[in-house]
Amino acid sequence: MLRDVYLSGHPTIFPPGRLRMKQLWFVIMLIALPALMAQADAHSDTEFFETKIRPLLTEHCIACHGEKKQKGGLRLDSKAAWQKGGEEGPVIVPGKSSQSALLKMVRGTPGKPPQMPPDEVLPEAAVVDLAKWVDLGAPDPRQGVATTTKEIDWEAARKFWAYQPATATAADSTSADHGKAIDRYIAAGLLRAGLKPVGLADKRTLIRRATFDLTGLPPTEAEVQAFEADSAPEAFAKVIDRLLASPAYGEHQARGWLDLARYGESHADNENTAEKLTFAWRYRDWAIEAFNKDVSYDRFVKLQLAADLMEKPGDDPADRRALGLLGLGAVYARPNDLDRAKAEQWDDRVDAVTRAFLGLTVSCARCHDHKFDPIPTQDYYSLAGIIANTQNATVPISPADLLAAHDSAAAKSAAATQAAKGFLQGAADRIANQRADHLADYSIAVWRFNMQKQDQPALKPDAIAKAAGLSLAEFAALDKYLQKGNAGVQKLVVWQKLLRTKSADREPTAQVRELAQQFQTMVKDQLAKPFGVKGGRSADSQKDWFGKGGIFPITDELVKANATPEWKTELASLEKAAAAAAAAVPAIAQCNGVADIAKPADLKVYIRGNPAKKGEVAPRRFLRILSGNDRPAFKNGSGRLELAEAIADAKNPLTARVLVNRIWQQHFGRGIVATASNFGVLGSRPTHPELLDALAAGFVSDGWSIKRLHRRMMLSEAYQRASTSDQANMEIDPENQWLWRMSRRRLTVEEFRDATLMVAGNLKREMGGPSGDVDDVNNSRRTVYGRVSRHDLSQLLRLFDFPDPNISSDRRTDTTLPQQALFLMNSPFILQQAKVLAARVSAEKSSAEKVRAAYRQVFARMPSDAELKFAVGFLDAADGAKVGLTRMERFAQAILASNEFFFVD
Amino acid sequence: MKMPLSRRDMLKTMGTGLGTIGLASVLGEQGLLGATPVVGAGRVDPLAGKVAHFPAKAKYLIHLFMNGGPSQVDTFDHKPALVKYAGQRPPSVNLSTERKTFNLLPSPFAFKRYGQSGLEISDLFKNVGECADDLCVIRSMQTDIPNHAPGLLMMCSGSSLPIRPAFGSWILYGLGSENRDLPGFVVLCPGRPGVVGPQLWGNSFLPGVYQGCHVVNKDMKPGNVIAHLRNPAIGAAAQREQLDLLKGMNESHLAARAGDPALEARIASMEMAFRMQVEAPEVFDLSGETAATRELYGKGEFNDGCLLARRLVERGVRVVQLHYGSSENWDSHDNIDHHAKCARRVDQAIAGLLKDLKSRGLLDETLVLWGGEFGRTPVAEGNSTGRDHNHYGFSVFMAGGGVRGGMAYGATDEFGFTAVENKMHVHDLHATMLHLMGLDHEKLTYRYSGRDFRLTDVSGRVAREVIA
Repeated sequence: MLRDVYLSGHPTIFPPGRLRMKQLWFVIMLIALPALMAQADAHSDTEFFETKIRPLLTEHCIACHGEKKQKGGLRLDSKAAWQKGGEEGPVIVPGKSSQSALLKMVRGTPGKPPQMPPDEVLPEAAVVDLAKWVDLGAPDPRQGVATTTKEIDWEAARKFWAYQPATATAADSTSADHGKAIDRYIAAGLLRAGLKPVGLADKRTLIRRATFDLTGLPPTEAEVQAFEADSAPEAFAKVIDRLLASPAYGEHQARGWLDLARYGESHADNENTAEKLTFAWRYRDWAIEAFNKDVSYDRFVKLQLAADLMEKPGDDPADRRALGLLGLGAVYARPNDLDRAKAEQWDDRVDAVTRAFLGLTVSCARCHDHKFDPIPTQDYYSLAGIIANTQNATVPISPADLLAAHDSAAAKSAAATQAAKGFLQGAADRIANQRADHLADYSIAVWRFNMQKQDQPALKPDAIAKAAGLSLAEFAALDKYLQKGNAGVQKLVVWQKLLRTKSADREPTAQVRELAQQFQTMVKDQLAKPFGVKGGRSADSQKDWFGKGGIFPITDELVKANATPEWKTELASLEKAAAAAAAAVPAIAQCNGVADIAKPADLKVYIRGNPAKKGEVAPRRFLRILSGNDRPAFKNGSGRLELAEAIADAKNPLTARVLVNRIWQQHFGRGIVATASNFGVLGSRPTHPELLDALAAGFVSDGWSIKRLHRRMMLSEAYQRASTSDQANMEIDPENQWLWRMSRRRLTVEEFRDATLMVAGNLKREMGGPSGDVDDVNNSRRTVYGRVSRHDLSQLLRLFDFPDPNISSDRRTDTTLPQQALFLMNSPFILQQAKVLAARVSAEKSSAEKVRAAYRQVFARMPSDAELKFAVGFLDAADGAKVGLTRMERFAQAILASNEFFFVD
Repeated sequence: MKMPLSRRDMLKTMGTGLGTIGLASVLGEQGLLGATPVVGAGRVDPLAGKVAHFPAKAKYLIHLFMNGGPSQVDTFDHKPALVKYAGQRPPSVNLSTERKTFNLLPSPFAFKRYGQSGLEISDLFKNVGECADDLCVIRSMQTDIPNHAPGLLMMCSGSSLPIRPAFGSWILYGLGSENRDLPGFVVLCPGRPGVVGPQLWGNSFLPGVYQGCHVVNKDMKPGNVIAHLRNPAIGAAAQREQLDLLKGMNESHLAARAGDPALEARIASMEMAFRMQVEAPEVFDLSGETAATRELYGKGEFNDGCLLARRLVERGVRVVQLHYGSSENWDSHDNIDHHAKCARRVDQAIAGLLKDLKSRGLLDETLVLWGGEFGRTPVAEGNSTGRDHNHYGFSVFMAGGGVRGGMAYGATDEFGFTAVENKMHVHDLHATMLHLMGLDHEKLTYRYSGRDFRLTDVSGRVAREVIA
């Protein structure tokens, strides 16, 4: 048939009907044949893929390039995915194995061994199959998503408990019902778990617990006795109110917040060169005052993010200290990698802010969408953008009128100082001019000397210098200066050349004279300009010619030696006026805060966290999961205030919950959500979700008062339970998550040090101000006033589980180390406190009285008969040889090192 | 039949004998999931010996930290092309480092082949050369940033920021310790390191029990190596009596609170500390070593440090990091001849340590890592005869602990500037070190701030080629 057509030569001469049929067949065949053939090929290609390639990919590649992991941003588990490729672009060029990165990776290239798979080399047969597959056009029947990350299902995500609004019944939401609402929820949990709560703690135990919990200090014996004597039903409430009103409350409460704020007073990189955090302590003092004043928590949040942007007339400018949360953030010195250093700094702030306020780990979304929580990378950069538009700044915190007075007085002082300086400079300039008037001659003398020296290498300049009227030092300095050919003095370059040129008669040529004159004129011109003002005399030239170490050093002494008595009187009066003006400048206070940068702009997403690979724009705005898809972009400067308002919004489901949970953790040893800074999917679920909601809703409706929140929690029976154990309960709930008893806790390092100082009678109570060294045995202030270095943390703090001040920390770890015991046995600190304590009780007559006094002082209780006998036995025993501490001192040390002192029941 | 205790077993068990429960440390909710922890009474002892992820030869690690950055082309990476192209600047070396560099600078030190393996090592390390067949030189090291602080941090903690735990902390967390009278991670450094500070051995977010214990090995007095090791006022007998008083008070306190492991742990820690006062000075007292041993190591601060390192691992200390000086002592910007002085102070000591470990049968189970935070440029810095920092390519070596000896792994380009073959980033080195110690770097995780952290972050490849 084909032949028929072919042979037909001129088809048009065939009868139309028949020929048309034949042609049609032909056309059909032309079209269909390849298709039919392709169908057969496709079948075998798929088979090839299924039998050879799919198992190969599954076995060697998908673990790292599939749904679970996407190393290098690459997935190989669907056609769409590999077509999209990884960070470096597509790795398969269909039909061209030689150009496909995939083959280069598994095969290696000349001089470079195979890179993939990382831990093995693919068998040769597998590599051949892979190449064949790619050359076939990489047929791949696998459907599937191209994205390297799963899309967030927002609908489902919002159903997660933490994003649901906290609701509470009316009965729960007032603080008037004391702890009863709390106890209802706790009772329900205990009942469900089959636990029977232990009884209430005795009063001494309770007041010791409450006093440490609220103030970080032990109660005094008098306080214990007063409470024990008070039989009124509201006796404990009175204790709580007294403690909340104590300034020590703020000191203790602030320290917990400083953990979250990763408070540090120096940068980790290098204390000596990194940006100084001179005023760090102002933030600490602000936090102490804020807790003592019970600043509403929503305002507490907002001030730390945007105190500068929310200030209204009449507000205390000292509130700007709150900006330390951001302003004390890490600064990394990375001269070779500035972009990354900046990105790390943003991360530090985003991490601290989102974990402390929201209990969210937004930082996890820096390089890829959060693996567990609904936080896309874009959201991370939306928040990082707010930080990127904020810069560290030293911020004045004095009242406006004082600042104005300061500025005006400072201006006056500057003027007076300038007047005195100008007067002195005027006299100096007169002397300088006298010297400059002869500079050409001086220069020619120098030239002459250099010329003569060419003939007489041993020639000394003495005679020439003297003839010219120059001292030897001046002569040498001028020579050196002229030889150097100062780049700033163009003419001298030529001069320098001339110095090397021999003139026939060793006499200055016209050009030399001309240049010397020009040099003199130049110096005179400069001297005619005022010194020390912008656009005036060149400071460098002044230094080179007339400064200390210059050619003609015109010192103050020289000026004064040449001055008249009248001039001296005048100068003295000007200097006196300058000193008076300087003294009249009122002191102003400053803090390490932040300020918006001038021209705010959004960031672009850094793909995989890489500053060199930028993706879509991330408008500055709040997290989508908390504010919806159509949330507005922030328009006000950096957006800090809008962020602050979004976080402190009563409708934000996290802020209040996270805070009440932190306070709960403080009182019960463990949060209702055990992971206090992670309310996300990987965090713990609340043990008592309704209770958490009731507390959160009550907290907001109660005006965000933290003090009243403490009160509610502490008035519950749950808080007042004993810490005694119970065999049956231990088997069901050894961790005490259902709160069948109070969990015993040990003292933090601050509590331990402060309590030791206090019972020894050494604790100094003045508040605020710059930090001291807690490793210094003579420092008796509370530990919260101790220096916190991010670079080199105090030995004591490090030893007793103080958290790393480089990272936000939501709880202290408790480690028991023999090195801690060594501290209690041998450190100068403990020995000193033991001596002071021993001295305090030394006035008592008998050993028994001394023991009683020490017990009352340290434990606020009397010793039992057995304890008394045991202790007296120790005190009354005789030492064989002389011992460096008295028995009483050794006893005092033991009591300070005891478990009873170190633990709170 | 009861096997006689080896000297090492005796050293490890000396003074211990406390039950797990007595040592229990009370940790919060963070959980301690290094490898497989030993659990007692619902509490976890964070230092209990743990079962590694897989069997491994190396039990201990000694890191001989050549801080400052020794030059690879003057030590373990011979580059004859530097002589041929001396004074030139071929285009292939146009890489920017910390400072401005000029032309290729040949090494002033001669190289020789050592041992049966014929490893090429420069004259700076003649003594180490005698151990060539035990060395696995990695010539293709890379790190991220050519500045000291980030480089030191990267080598010590796998991050150029000072916010991650040291590898010693990770290993201690993963494997626990074998000796309870001594810290499990000891850092011998003659002072406070200048640019970074104690963050180099910090535990960061890992519990404090895993922090490196800094022993100032400068003018060391065995009685003062650990803070507060000695009571300045009273002697052992009086202190024993005082501790018995304390114990009595604590026991009467405990009687009403029976079974609280936190209280028991603290009581036990007092007893442990009391013994540590005796035990620790003994470890740091070198006077009992034979003259032959002292001679093997040579005289000097670093030499004594190497000997101490052996004494520490011999007693079951998990990780020892020995710094060569407390500043960046290998730094040789102005004149590479400065390397001769450094090498003179470490060469014999390192060789002595390797030989001593080997003769005591300890080398097999002790992984020794030698190296700096980066290398140096094959080109001169400015017009000097010194070399700038180089993060593109440098050499370290490992020995013992299941590493293949007598081999070089990876390679730099013909001038030794950048790694080109079998590149080994610090993350890869860490992954390989952990592997040699029986830990899977992807499984050794700690949950903090909502995510599982690793020493190797999201990187790390085990170089199986170097494993014997």
